[in-house]
Amino acid sequence: MRPWSEALSLACRLFLGGLYLWAAHDKVWLPAEFAAAMAEYDMLPLWAVNPASVALAWLELVLGLLLLLGVWLRAAAAWAAALLALFTGLMVWAGFTGAGFDCGCFPAGAGHPAGFESALRDFLMMLPALWLLWRPGRWLALRPQ
Amino acid sequence: MPAERKTPGLALACGLILAAALLLGLACNLFMPQGIGWLPPWISRPLWQPVGLAPAAALHRQGALFVDARDPSQYKAARVRGALSLYPSELKLIYPLLKDTLAQAPLVVVYGRSRSRFPAAEIGQFLRGQGLGRVYVLQEDFAAWRAAGLPVQAPRRRSGS
Repeated sequence: MRPWSEALSLACRLFLGGLYLWAAHDKVWLPAEFAAAMAEYDMLPLWAVNPASVALAWLELVLGLLLLLGVWLRAAAAWAAALLALFTGLMVWAGFTGAGFDCGCFPAGAGHPAGFESALRDFLMMLPALWLLWRPGRWLALRPQ
Repeated sequence: MPAERKTPGLALACGLILAAALLLGLACNLFMPQGIGWLPPWISRPLWQPVGLAPAAALHRQGALFVDARDPSQYKAARVRGALSLYPSELKLIYPLLKDTLAQAPLVVVYGRSRSRFPAAEIGQFLRGQGLGRVYVLQEDFAAWRAAGLPVQAPRRRSGS
């Protein structure tokens, strides 16, 4: 890989890893609040809300760590892109239904209402994940493959 | 010659990442004091009673007080006729203002969403915890109430000039 490509991959990794860690820390530390935020969407049956919220919070944390440390980058990028695609769809749906509540994506007080604006944000965040899926890079990576 | 490290395929690595997240989540949630159970207490140990659409409509006709547990913006857009708004994030602020009205109601029906029954069940549990006698949680959502042609209150739209 060329140096500019390596540098871009590293920048994408650090950005996405930091983003996922920032998004996850509140969800992991305050699981009840995140479960309530997930329940707002009314997409899951009540028995699935708590387990799914715990799983999602920890998946985000693990992805953040893997991306920052540079471990299994392609798989981590695939998960990151898949989650962001899911979130984009969810935000589009929220936009159509006029949900209006906080999207629950980031720590409380970040002020991101669920809707089309958040869908665009999630879509743009998916681009670095797709780049990493294609070009994971090796700079400062513990175990890229 | 150094031994080559085996690298898992993409699908296997994705599966391992998911398994690690699930295991970590399960273990930490179990030991964290703020960890959550499989179901929230207002679902696993409900103090309220569920009520279907038709019985709830009958209760409405008999003068039951309806509580809208949805987002305030949704409440403003349209609600069950006569319903009060009580939303979890504003519960501690608003409840003291509505306390007397709620206490005088013969029975209370809380409604919110249908699948996750959020946050109606949480509000129902809270109200029962505050000593209200008969608290029901509607099993359907507001859309179903409206679709059934039951009484709805919505602000009148201004006609164009």
